[in-house]
Amino acid sequence: MTFDYHEPTSVREAIELSARFGGDGRFLAGGTDLMVQIHRGRLNPRHVVSLQCVPGLDGIEVDGAVRLGARVTHRRLESAEAFQGALRGLAEGAEVVGGHQVRNVATVGGNIVNASPAADVVVVLLALDATLTCLGPAGERTVALDGFATAPGVTGLRPNELLTRASFPRLAPRSATVFLKAGRRRAMEISIACVAARVTLDDLERCQDVRIALGAVAPTAIRARAAERHLEARPLTDGLMRETGRIAAAECRPIGDVRASARYRALLVATLVPRALARCLERIKLGAP
Amino acid sequence: MTRIALSLTINGQTHDVLAEPHRTLLDVLRTDLGLIGTKENCLEAECGVCTVLLEGAAVNACILLAAQCQGRAIVTIEGLAAPGQLHPLQRAFIDHGAVQCGYCIPGMILAAKAYLDTNPEPDGDGVREALAGNLCRCTGYQRIIDAVLSAARALRTSPPSQAAR
Ligand SMILES: Cc1cc2nc3c(=O)[nH]c(=O)nc-3n(C[C@H](O)[C@H](O)[C@H](O)COP(=O)(O)OP(=O)(O)OC[C@H]3O[C@@H](n4cnc5c(N)ncnc54)[C@H](O)[C@@H]3O)c2cc1C
Ligand code: FES
Ligand code: FES
Repeated sequence: MTFDYHEPTSVREAIELSARFGGDGRFLAGGTDLMVQIHRGRLNPRHVVSLQCVPGLDGIEVDGAVRLGARVTHRRLESAEAFQGALRGLAEGAEVVGGHQVRNVATVGGNIVNASPAADVVVVLLALDATLTCLGPAGERTVALDGFATAPGVTGLRPNELLTRASFPRLAPRSATVFLKAGRRRAMEISIACVAARVTLDDLERCQDVRIALGAVAPTAIRARAAERHLEARPLTDGLMRETGRIAAAECRPIGDVRASARYRALLVATLVPRALARCLERIKLGAP
Repeated sequence: MTRIALSLTINGQTHDVLAEPHRTLLDVLRTDLGLIGTKENCLEAECGVCTVLLEGAAVNACILLAAQCQGRAIVTIEGLAAPGQLHPLQRAFIDHGAVQCGYCIPGMILAAKAYLDTNPEPDGDGVREALAGNLCRCTGYQRIIDAVLSAARALRTSPPSQAAR
């Protein structure tokens, strides 16, 4: 393992370097995925382009929409004031990534581009209808997060493109978000299965808008669309929430591995989905004026 | 591979080193600077024995390039207290019998330091969570948790006279 190290000081310079190095180059954010891959000999880039001195990538902006710079760390997500209320699910996703040492450096952008099926923050961002801004030599484009990852470790990011931010719309009134994760232990654990839910209720307590996203139960993080549809315009009763959990479990395509069997993963989805929905309901009621 | 000149600020002192750009901070600390209090084990950010403070935050030196650390303040276990003195955390680890083989302890203590700096009144669960990235194969953790809670009390009543760097 040997490589040259580059520290561009502008987005433009970062993209120029990456265009120059092509497949020999890699962006480095927190390094919690990249450096581990390099140490394992799975990746062997000739050029590492650090993003740490590139300005404009570390903002958390909340106005009409919410914009997260690619270099925002999990640590900052979990402690941001903006994510303690209806957007609490985002802090919940961030605060279970690794331990403090990992969260202090690991970034949102790295979580997205690394494209692990078990990327916790990605699951929450899916439930928030996030879009991604990618900047390359040909300019800027916006793509949906849903569908961005196509296989474990593979995304639609083009060569030489830099992910600059993830954005999502502000939540409507009477909304809540929840993230739940099952692992073999409480901390420092990759998800066996995880669920993010976003619920908006109308004035008659019916589901106006619902998203259910699942992690670690398919080749990429996914939305459980049939489960979402099942809730449309209906009030969240216990029976309906349990049914929705079973539908979500049927939608996922889990594998069995050292952490859990495929069957156990599906069972977890059937349990976590109703729990997440119930907690959303609870939060909306608590937050209601 | 050509080496690059790095200027690193470690425990308040500037060190000029020539190192290949792919070398980690952990490697440079131990090999070039002889600061072997920071330990080396998994090299995958799993175990925490390589924990140092970077601008006051706990990070794993095994996945951090030395080149990334220029212009940023690093504290290792050697710099936690003035020479010949013990930081209240070190004192508490000794008093509570929280050290067996000792391999995990420098990382434990620095992770605990970073945590107590922002959470001066922790409870046991908070400490456990803060140390989740530090593995210990000897102690069973309980005495470590006790030591950190006791150090937190000590730091609240009498902060170290010579502020730790
Ligand atoms: C001990 C440990 C525990 C972990 N636990 C969890 C967990 O519980 N949940 C979880 O989801 N993850 C976990 N991870 C994985 C990892 O921490 C996260 O995926 C993290 O968000 C990656 O971010 P990073 O900044 O470290 O990425 P890096 O390692 O710096 O980069 C990852 C990849 O993304 C590319 N990249 C990074 N930023 C950009 C950008 N802006 N534009 C284009 N490409 C970019 C890099 O080139 C690289 O290929 C864990 C890792 C470790 C080591
Ligand atoms: S050696 Fe760095 S975390 Fe294990
Ligand atoms: S004291 Fe031996 S590993 Fe912790």
